[in-house]
Amino acid sequence: MNTSPIGPVHAEAEVPAADAGDYAVTTHELVKRYGRQPALNGLNISVPRGRVYGFLGPNGSGKTTTLRLLVGLMRPDAGTMTVLGQPFTWRDRHRLFSVGSLIESPAFYPYLSGRDNLRVLAGTGPPTPRHRIAEVLQYVGLTDRAHSKFKTYSLGMKQRLGIAAALLSDPQLLLLDEPANGLDPAGIVAMRETMRYLTAQGKTVLISSHILPEVEQLADVVGIVSKGRVIRQGTITDLLEDTGHIRVRVSLADMPAAAAILGRVAPERPLYGVDSGPQAGTFTVGAPPSRAQEINRALAEAGVFAHSLQGGSDLEALFLQVTSAAAPASSAAQLAPPDAGGSK
Amino acid sequence: MRLFGAEMLALRKRAATYVVLGVLLVVMALIYLIVGLSPFERGAAAGAALLRFPGAYAGIAQIVFGLGSLLGVTYAAAVAGGDWSWGIPRLILSRGESRLAYVLVKAAAVAVMLALGVLIAYAVGVVLVYIAAALAGEQAGDAFGGRALPDLVESLLLGYPVLLERAAIAFAVATLLRSQIAGIVVGIVLYIGEGILTSILLGLALVGRVGAGGGVNFEPIGPEWYQYLPFSIGNGVLGGISGGASVEGGFEDIFLRPVPLEVALVGVGLYLVAALAISVVSVWRAEIAA
Repeated sequence: MNTSPIGPVHAEAEVPAADAGDYAVTTHELVKRYGRQPALNGLNISVPRGRVYGFLGPNGSGKTTTLRLLVGLMRPDAGTMTVLGQPFTWRDRHRLFSVGSLIESPAFYPYLSGRDNLRVLAGTGPPTPRHRIAEVLQYVGLTDRAHSKFKTYSLGMKQRLGIAAALLSDPQLLLLDEPANGLDPAGIVAMRETMRYLTAQGKTVLISSHILPEVEQLADVVGIVSKGRVIRQGTITDLLEDTGHIRVRVSLADMPAAAAILGRVAPERPLYGVDSGPQAGTFTVGAPPSRAQEINRALAEAGVFAHSLQGGSDLEALFLQVTSAAAPASSAAQLAPPDAGGSK
Repeated sequence: MRLFGAEMLALRKRAATYVVLGVLLVVMALIYLIVGLSPFERGAAAGAALLRFPGAYAGIAQIVFGLGSLLGVTYAAAVAGGDWSWGIPRLILSRGESRLAYVLVKAAAVAVMLALGVLIAYAVGVVLVYIAAALAGEQAGDAFGGRALPDLVESLLLGYPVLLERAAIAFAVATLLRSQIAGIVVGIVLYIGEGILTSILLGLALVGRVGAGGGVNFEPIGPEWYQYLPFSIGNGVLGGISGGASVEGGFEDIFLRPVPLEVALVGVGLYLVAALAISVVSVWRAEIAA
């Protein structure tokens, strides 16, 4: 067993397999509107027990709303939820005794120390042994600053206290909204180790994050949400199997012609990213790396000689691909290459 | 009980708890210092009322439940509103705490803090009466002998519910507005505004009673409807404290008949329950987005 700055790590422990149908969280056709604005539009997620579930989506896609519903801060307009295998409504408060959460920014009494804030929290929800406060402060590396007032904490320290609060009742299910927000690299590594440690103990972590490489390292299962609906869900291995991208770097002068050729070569997997530099631009094409040779040949036949072609398959590419495909026309236009219309 | 302990810890460590009490004690000390040093005829009725027990308790009550009400309103609004400003309900409710328990226990913790504040203020007030009496060359008498002890108990039993009711209204306002600053401002504006409204309406009533020859009918009127407003109804209770007029008193005591004590007590109770109900319903229905 190793000891990380935020707790012991059982690297050798086996992650328990989730039985089919044995989910820590499910939502069925969940609908939530803010006035007339829909935030969730029939959301269905299934979070297997004992796993890290990456909950991904662009800004405003409904991730935080989902988490608020899952801890009863809001009521859904339609749909159902289960938490730890039992139906959950906002009135089922006791079910949350087994849930730890960090939703949006950490909220604490600014005039209390980190320790006193946790003492106040220990008086709410499930009974919490006194020694647990020192334990979670040690987990998140805040023991030395436990007596400082919360308002004097840096953003990263506030986030650490938020994670400590979520861990306070030793929950079976952890819901974390952007937990890496403000954490320094050491804090991110420590958080990652804590998540692995928790899942090694059979606990479930649902993590909403924009840091896709981080989620890719942490999560076993991901759900990608856009406009209040899940558009992809599954294990990372399965999702990335038929997904990939090829980054094509060409000179600025060749960019319009390259855009037209690439759009023709991979029409079913549209261009979903372009990054222009001072001398050259990079297209990111949604296509498996195995098609790099074919694409290179098509470019060369049209007199466009690529500086480089680089294939890859990662969560970021998948995310960009599926969310840009689901985005409205105006968003897609923003991703189109400059002068793609060919006004050279 | 764990939740109550947690709320008490949060209030005990909050600067506002001590600032509010400190302001009350400093003002009270200044009042008694001025009274003690003021040249007034030895044994005069006014001086005796303020500096001699049991009558001195009415003076203490006037300060504690008069200025104290304004401070209590500020404190309750700050406690209820501060939580929303800092996102505390999100934190506590997401740990599985009941909404009903959260709001009622918080209100109970504020009530306990106010009770402690009143007891401390009374204790300091008694000491100040002795000091002021010594400065004025008066005999303060026995603070706990004869009729003094029953009067002390009576003033506490009548004054505290009024303070509680006024604080509960501010608590409800801040809970509804979900903001510390807005809660304090609106609470104070309502509290002071109601007093101003009462004075204006009474003034208009008196103007209407000026006779053709310019003479004024000094016969008290009322009770008028505006004496039953949430912050004014308590004056009917405070007026029932032995030896004391209604706390906000002034010319209103001369021209307005007080609301009967029993009626005022019922009114205070109803407003207290209504304020708590508003707070509970507000939290119960709240969609907590931030």
